[in-house]
Amino acid sequence: MRAEVVHPVRSAPLHRPGRAVGRRKLWRCESGSSAPEPPESQGQRSGRVETSGARRVLVIDDERAIRLLCRVNLVASGIDVLEARDGREGLALARKERPDLVLLDVMMPEVDGWTVARELAADEETREIPVVFLTARAEAADKRLGEQLGGVGYLIKPFDPVTIGDYVEEVLARIDRGEREQLRRDISSGPAR
Amino acid sequence: MSTRETNEAADRARRLQRVAELLAEAVEPQQVLDAILTEGVRAAEARAGAIGILSEDGKNVELLAERGYDAAVMHGWASFPLAAALPMSEVIRTGEPVFVANIEQRNRDYPDLAHQGQDSHALVVVPLAVEGRVFGAMSLSFDEDIEFEPERREMKMALARQAAQALARSRLYAAEQSMRERMTFLAEASELLGSSLDYNSTLRRVAQLSVPGLADWCAIDMVGPNGEIERLAVAHEDPEKVRWAYELQDRYPPDPDAPTGVPQVLRTGEPEFYPELPQELLEEAIADDDELRRIVEELGLKSSICVPLVARGRKLGALTLIAAEKHPAYTQADLDLAIELARRAAIAVDNARLFQEAERGANAARALAYVADGVVLLDDDNHVRHWNPAAAAITGVSEEEALGRPVGDVVSVWDALTSHVPLVAPGRAARTVTVPLVLAGRERWVAVSGVAFGQGTVFALQDVTDEHALEKTRSDFVATASHELRTPLAAVYGAVRTLRRQDVVLSEDDRTQFLEMIESEATRLARIVDQILLAGQLDADAVDVALSECDPAAVAAGVVESAELHLPENISIRLATDSAPRISCDESKLRQVLVNLVDNAVKYSPAGGSVELRVSNGDGACVIDVIDEGLGIPPDESDRIFEKFYRLDPQQTYGVGGSGLGLYICRELVERMDGRLRVESEPGHGSRFTLELPVQR
Repeated sequence: MRAEVVHPVRSAPLHRPGRAVGRRKLWRCESGSSAPEPPESQGQRSGRVETSGARRVLVIDDERAIRLLCRVNLVASGIDVLEARDGREGLALARKERPDLVLLDVMMPEVDGWTVARELAADEETREIPVVFLTARAEAADKRLGEQLGGVGYLIKPFDPVTIGDYVEEVLARIDRGEREQLRRDISSGPAR
Repeated sequence: MSTRETNEAADRARRLQRVAELLAEAVEPQQVLDAILTEGVRAAEARAGAIGILSEDGKNVELLAERGYDAAVMHGWASFPLAAALPMSEVIRTGEPVFVANIEQRNRDYPDLAHQGQDSHALVVVPLAVEGRVFGAMSLSFDEDIEFEPERREMKMALARQAAQALARSRLYAAEQSMRERMTFLAEASELLGSSLDYNSTLRRVAQLSVPGLADWCAIDMVGPNGEIERLAVAHEDPEKVRWAYELQDRYPPDPDAPTGVPQVLRTGEPEFYPELPQELLEEAIADDDELRRIVEELGLKSSICVPLVARGRKLGALTLIAAEKHPAYTQADLDLAIELARRAAIAVDNARLFQEAERGANAARALAYVADGVVLLDDDNHVRHWNPAAAAITGVSEEEALGRPVGDVVSVWDALTSHVPLVAPGRAARTVTVPLVLAGRERWVAVSGVAFGQGTVFALQDVTDEHALEKTRSDFVATASHELRTPLAAVYGAVRTLRRQDVVLSEDDRTQFLEMIESEATRLARIVDQILLAGQLDADAVDVALSECDPAAVAAGVVESAELHLPENISIRLATDSAPRISCDESKLRQVLVNLVDNAVKYSPAGGSVELRVSNGDGACVIDVIDEGLGIPPDESDRIFEKFYRLDPQQTYGVGGSGLGLYICRELVERMDGRLRVESEPGHGSRFTLELPVQR
């Protein structure tokens, strides 16, 4: 398993009104140096979940650059991050770790994002995990497919990684409020993101 | 016999002889009448004479001609009943001559005449008979009272026999003449009717042909497709009157439920014949319309014939003939002629319609045979009733195999093919649905539309496999290009956004990674953009190739060297050179081609392996092979990989990125250097791209 969990890293507490306190903790760790390097993966860092209250997001993307962007920015928002570099790894990790949300690329080697979404939805164990597509595919037909496959969000590359943490929190909060179906329908009919 | 009597007898004989000569010369009935009444009257030493003929129905005596009588006396004697107690009626009835010596005898024998012609004297009425059949009588009136002696009686009888023969002959001649005219007319009309399939215009000409010979007015009405009566033609000698007749019809539209005339004839299929138009009929038509009364009176309608045009039991229309200002009243012979004309016209119309129908059918079949779209007609039991060649080509099932069978048996996937096709009613815009059709291992994309009508359904099938492939290629390219441009852009943009964050302290390692990311992804972006631009220039033929002497081995060595710098760990690259000739080419373009081919070899070897560049001397050419141990190319795609935007495995199942332009650019550049690029491959075992460039001369 090449995916890993990374600790959130922050320089200072962030005080944002309206946010759930308690989930937010201050982390400082030297990512990469705290965990042993898996021999088969180069340049990837692994870690362990150290907080039970933080959200955990699984990023599935074959592009190392995109994974890196997501990881650094999500961690900065106090979100734990798991990474997988293709669909097969992503599925295995989702089943094992039950993340709170999956950020899912579409065009990937061997098992593409559509297949991952389909299989997650078909598996009772993973059916409830919200999926946000993060893809270069920008055609309307692609969005419709994303909606049909049960996604709760659809981000088109290039995207602003700085706001990704807030976005994930918002999606999860809305799901908590029972707006999951609304989120899904917004993929092809709602305001563009 | 006295000398006087002898002279008188000789004189009578001479006069009879003279009459006989004149009658022999006369041909037309009118000439004969003239000859009898001038010479005959004179020969008989009579003051006046008249000729009456039995009417066609045998009920009346009609006065054909007279000479010498006072107009006042003759008034009212144009026609009188055969049964009347009058000398002429009696003679025709009995066939015996009547000799009246003086007015007393006349008034005694014929009291009806007692009140007129008080200065009359002797009167002779002799029968006109041929072969024992009496057809009329001739009367002669004298200036004196005469007791007719046998010789004089015999002379009058002889005169009557001569007149009768001449009249009968001339009437026969006239009848024959009229028959000949009718036959000529019928022949002309038949020829017209057979001359064209445009029966509307031939019928108009037939109507035209009928005036004035057959009628003063001739009209033809046809039954329209919905049973309505349409006036096809009105003919009159005077075109001005025809215009007026149409105006009249607009002002007084015919009542389709009228109990007489065309509607009635079309209802019953029986002719309507008025030898004399009854005044009541005209009054009924006029009603209380003063203007109409004026018009009808002006028209002077005498007699009419209306006959239906019937073919194969169907009433197609009606022919109306009217005798008015010129044409004599119609007789049975006219009706017969009209019936015959209508019969021929109806056959001609029917034939023309049948022919047009057959021709339409034949044209439709021809159109269906050659149209590019498949056309399938199913009856309400879903049995195939029509299956055109295009339908056969699309489905791979021949017409013979398909006809008459349930369509589900003919094409097993028919339900899947058509179940999503919304069937529309005839005349509505058909909705086309494009569906895949897999038959005998071939996949075709078919655009299907369907129209349901009362007795079945007609489907149109259009093979859009090529269009679909094109559309798929396009959308694959859009997805690919989008991915290839957006991914590095996302990395560069995201890295910059992250580096500029004030609220997060990045580790030194992360910072370095972001900076490296920006550099490498920007380079990748630039290369993709270069390729797209270059492909555009190649399309526009705007790429300059500067041929000059170069050493292919040296170029290959340079490519291998730079490839080694960022080669994945599991791939090795090596160069094999044996006595490569110098060639004439554009060195930078050759380098570009080799870089692309090596990149490709590496990309399509996801599981690792070796890549070899081999430079050798071919037959008048330098040969450069780029050999890998990667995925290989399926045989049927080895030509298509050089097409623009074509990508093996566009879903990137193996994670191979690229613009889909690399090999297209390679082949285009090589061909501009007069070289050739081809590929051999064994799927699963690798590919060998072979580049041949001509040796410098």
